[in-house]
Amino acid sequence: MKTFNTGGIHPPESKFTGNSAIEVMPLPAELAIPMNQHLGKPAKPIVKLNDEVKKGQLIGEADGFISANVHASTSGKIKAIKSHPHPGGQYAMTIFITPDGKDEWAEGLDTVAADWKRFSKDEILKKIKDAGIVGMGGAGFPTNVKLSPPPDKKIDTIILNGAECEPFLTADHRLMVESAEQVVIGMEIMASLLPAPVKLAIGVESNKPDAIAALEKFAAPKQIEVVSLKTKYPQGAEKQLINAITGRKVAEGELPFDKGCIVQNIGTAAAVFDAVCRNRPLIERVLTVSGMEITQRKNISARIGTGFKDIIAFCGSMSDKTNQVISGGPMMGKAIFSLDVPVVKTTSGILFINNRSLDKSRERTCIRCGRCVEVCPQGLAPWLLANTAQLKQFDEIQLIGLANCTECGSCTYVCPSGRELVHWIKYAKALVSSRQKRKSA
Amino acid sequence: MNMISDAFLPAVSSLGAVALALGIIIHYVSKKFHVEDDPTVKLVNGILPGVNCGACGFPSCGQFAEVLVETRNPAMTCPVGGADLAAKLGETLGMAMAEPKPQTAVVLCQGNNDVARQSAEYLGIQDCWAATQAFAGPKQCRYSCLGLGSCIAWCDFGAMRLENGLIVIDKDLCTGCAACIPACPTGVLVMQNKQAARYFIACNSHDKGAGTKKACDAGCIACQKCVKVCEDNAIVIDNFLARIVQDKCTACGKCIEVCPTKVNCIRLENDLNAVKQKQAS
Repeated sequence: MKTFNTGGIHPPESKFTGNSAIEVMPLPAELAIPMNQHLGKPAKPIVKLNDEVKKGQLIGEADGFISANVHASTSGKIKAIKSHPHPGGQYAMTIFITPDGKDEWAEGLDTVAADWKRFSKDEILKKIKDAGIVGMGGAGFPTNVKLSPPPDKKIDTIILNGAECEPFLTADHRLMVESAEQVVIGMEIMASLLPAPVKLAIGVESNKPDAIAALEKFAAPKQIEVVSLKTKYPQGAEKQLINAITGRKVAEGELPFDKGCIVQNIGTAAAVFDAVCRNRPLIERVLTVSGMEITQRKNISARIGTGFKDIIAFCGSMSDKTNQVISGGPMMGKAIFSLDVPVVKTTSGILFINNRSLDKSRERTCIRCGRCVEVCPQGLAPWLLANTAQLKQFDEIQLIGLANCTECGSCTYVCPSGRELVHWIKYAKALVSSRQKRKSA
Repeated sequence: MNMISDAFLPAVSSLGAVALALGIIIHYVSKKFHVEDDPTVKLVNGILPGVNCGACGFPSCGQFAEVLVETRNPAMTCPVGGADLAAKLGETLGMAMAEPKPQTAVVLCQGNNDVARQSAEYLGIQDCWAATQAFAGPKQCRYSCLGLGSCIAWCDFGAMRLENGLIVIDKDLCTGCAACIPACPTGVLVMQNKQAARYFIACNSHDKGAGTKKACDAGCIACQKCVKVCEDNAIVIDNFLARIVQDKCTACGKCIEVCPTKVNCIRLENDLNAVKQKQAS
């Protein structure tokens, strides 16, 4: 079985919702749609207060090359445009829509399009761009940009990331089982955009045999290889997935382009199918609601902009013992600071956690046991990065691989001294970039 | 005896010869490449505080002294030393130095744990910059002093301390070097003129009134009352936050009387006792 060759950990899988079918969540009473649901510049709002919008109508226009369109998730009235908490941990310009209940599509959307093979490359790329599709694994990189690599980079492999190595999360898993055909077609569409024919591979962790079987049914006739990967965290990290499937190593400062690879998420492939074959912009996504402190664990398909409070109500209730609500997976997700935050394009899950039993009260000293070095999939020395960050030596820290850290959290997971290694590294990254900005300003 | 002289004589004499040779070379080099030092630089450097805080714009006190002696610019001041030092410097250099304007850092926030409401419990690294990575700080108000004290380490003079989730600056110890200003991620620390700083608005929240009120009892809600009552037109409202223009303020105190916030957001100085008194009443 294939896997990446450096480091990795085996946290408890806790995939409770692997067998529960995706439930479509009813329309909430209010939708809060942030303008920055992607990497890059936030979209520009193009609607005004009290405007009537239709489902799928463009409400935020991509602003710049690395940016993405944002659409109304249902038909209704624009109630407010203001700054609002965002699950990424900041405030963001957000458009509030009061649904009118009719849920009417805007003109020309949700039509069954003709065979996608009849579209030209430019038409497909434009459809993907217009639909506002971004990488749905978590980073939110605009997909149309990822699919137009610089001409000097020769791409020979497209990898679809179905590893879903984060504990608890099963959104991609259910999507692969229930919409295998759409996922495979979405992948074909993406492959057709590249100048030369490429090798296609879907990487799935071996703990999801039903997903592998479902995909193989549609993938085999189309020469798409479904690769069974060892269940090990972080198998689904871009660089680790490339290493596991092709054996290539993406070095520091390099992008997957440089090694001839493009990696896309399962959800992204399904969204590409929806955009090209069904004329649907990205207005809903599948996510996992799980954790020990919620009464009903579910996989749900929710509109972008659905508040976390509405999701809690849909999934029973949250217990009083909850002390952390995490947007994303337990390893890389972010604890949110307000239940007012909405679901965005990159929300892969919502977890309700009680970690009071863990002694997280204080960081103790590094005992130089070397476990973080052993598990780091990027071959770094996390303890050294954290210590350097703690001493505020921001020039030195860049020389020991700060930029190469993918923040997967393996080091913090194994640290016997309870050190917040990844948090220190994130802290250093933020301060390094703010210093660079100040220097260039 | 013989053995000792056999063992030690060659070693001592050869080392001595080497030392002598090197000494001659060093002496020759020091004479040949001698640089005339200005004794006043040393003198001036001796008077300066020697903390290398960088408030004057130079990286060290030594460099400040060199440039001062070279240019004899009367406008060059050491904010830390204040008027006393300026007089001393003038005496040493035999010229009149400009009177320095003593500055002090002030905290534009009164959101201590009693008046500011928390949004969530923060469990991460106890550092303001790290907290801004997780969300906009442990307090509901995202413009507030986050109360984790990242600035304290930057103060060379021990003038900052954390009190009930809020940074407090000791006015007597603060020398106005401004080292703490860039250490604050929310920008609640600003420099103000020590003498002219009669009144200032101790709030940094650009939220609308309702939002500010929800998050904190000591926030400026931009009600315009102080603007209307101010006879010197010294108060302006910018983006839902009042600001007092230092040069225009005559410290009449009328604004304080009309401020409707529960804990007065207009302050003469960062006096915590006054905050508590108003809360109690």
